[in-house]
Amino acid sequence: MEHSLFSKPRDLFLDVVDPKDYVHIDSISHIYQSLKSSVQKPLKMILLFGRPGTGKSMLLHKLHHDLSKHQKVFMFDIPIVDEDDFLRVLAERIFTYSSHEVITLTRFLEIAEAASYSDTPIVLLDEAQLYSSSLMEKIRLISDARVIKFVITLHKTDKEEIIAKEHFQTRIWESIELQNATAEELKIYVQKKLLKANCFDVANMFNDKNIKLVASLTKGNFRETNKLLFSLFSLYCWYEENNPALIQYNALKSKWIEMAAIHTGLIHA
Amino acid sequence: MLNIQNLERRWLKYKIKSYAPYILGVVALLSVFIAVAYSKKSDTQSEPKEAAVSPSSPTPEASSTLLEPSMDFIRSFQTTVPSNEPPKATLQKNTQPVREPLPIPKLVTIPPPDSSDEKSFSLNRNESKLDIDTLERRFKETSNANLGLFIARYHYDHGNYSEAYNFALKTNSISNKLEESWIIFAKSLVKLGKVEQAKKTLQFYITDSNSDAARALLDTIERGTFK
Repeated sequence: MEHSLFSKPRDLFLDVVDPKDYVHIDSISHIYQSLKSSVQKPLKMILLFGRPGTGKSMLLHKLHHDLSKHQKVFMFDIPIVDEDDFLRVLAERIFTYSSHEVITLTRFLEIAEAASYSDTPIVLLDEAQLYSSSLMEKIRLISDARVIKFVITLHKTDKEEIIAKEHFQTRIWESIELQNATAEELKIYVQKKLLKANCFDVANMFNDKNIKLVASLTKGNFRETNKLLFSLFSLYCWYEENNPALIQYNALKSKWIEMAAIHTGLIHA
Repeated sequence: MLNIQNLERRWLKYKIKSYAPYILGVVALLSVFIAVAYSKKSDTQSEPKEAAVSPSSPTPEASSTLLEPSMDFIRSFQTTVPSNEPPKATLQKNTQPVREPLPIPKLVTIPPPDSSDEKSFSLNRNESKLDIDTLERRFKETSNANLGLFIARYHYDHGNYSEAYNFALKTNSISNKLEESWIIFAKSLVKLGKVEQAKKTLQFYITDSNSDAARALLDTIERGTFK
């Protein structure tokens, strides 16, 4: 099983957010460049939104990875939902102010003023839809005071759109939307990922028909694609060990793609 | 943990479910077709009987001729056209199209595309294609036959037949067991106009490997149906 041809491709599609796995594709690359240039502008807040699995967290991690070499950037990928904790953790990580007491918003702004950094620190908040309305209001006030620049990601659902409208409609200076990939983009995503890991023979197995099927099942969603391909290569590993005669090495089997989709819940059977 | 037997069973169920509407449709169509054919057959069988009982009664064909529309109105048109009545606009249009001067079509000057747009478009294009130069560099470094095949296929799909030929050739020299590489090599030769060389290559490969795909390709080339 360890020496299987398909175990390496399978592990490539584990749903893990690692900036090293970032794959440059058409639309995402453009969005990333505009996000990067927006961060350099004197904006108060940047909102990155889109449906789950469109690559928001990956972009945020990539931004953190690239910017942290040159400036103060702080990543909060797990939301701190407690309001008191939020300001305390922010003060501790950004301004190295440690206290066990509750920090009020006024006190936090004083700490920030006292620190007086030449460049405004950047805070990246993932999954911001989990923050309460009052905490969102505090984030808005902090960004209005220009002591911290926030880049936040939100899931695009009806509820979150309301949050975005209520709190940030007039404050956000840059709002970037991420969308699902087209079949062509998905093909490039899959092939680049495989080629990057030297899985040339498996990359050769993907033909246009296979990609179209994958794209129609996952609707171009990166997370769903990763899950589907992980299951697919797990299936290949099983067949390679138990019934290798069934494997065709010139193309992927549509039947097995559909079986993987049933396993991941993309097809209800 | 994968339960392959269960997945196979669920896949079969899913396939039957997804094909069920088509199967039902075909069955419905067939039953309609059979019903129509049967009713026609029974009609033809009953016709002579009716004729025998009442020869004067009209057959369905005779009744259909009774329902034919009268064409008298055409004759009335022919008589009314030379009369003093003003001709209708549509008729005038049909009879005197040459007399009316044709409007001179305006020359529309298409504005040149914006240079900024062009810039962004080229950026798009560069991003959307695979970094083929990087892959070619990696192929030079690693000499991996599968990577060579990938690049050859990429070039063939993009219409760069000479490049596809080069990379398929290199791939074949690294490993002569990749069937698709030989196929791309031969197809590229045909696209480059070297049909005889392509045939020779395929014949050589077929004797060596007994490949069905190569034989099928050779057949299409010989029949002249290769596109």
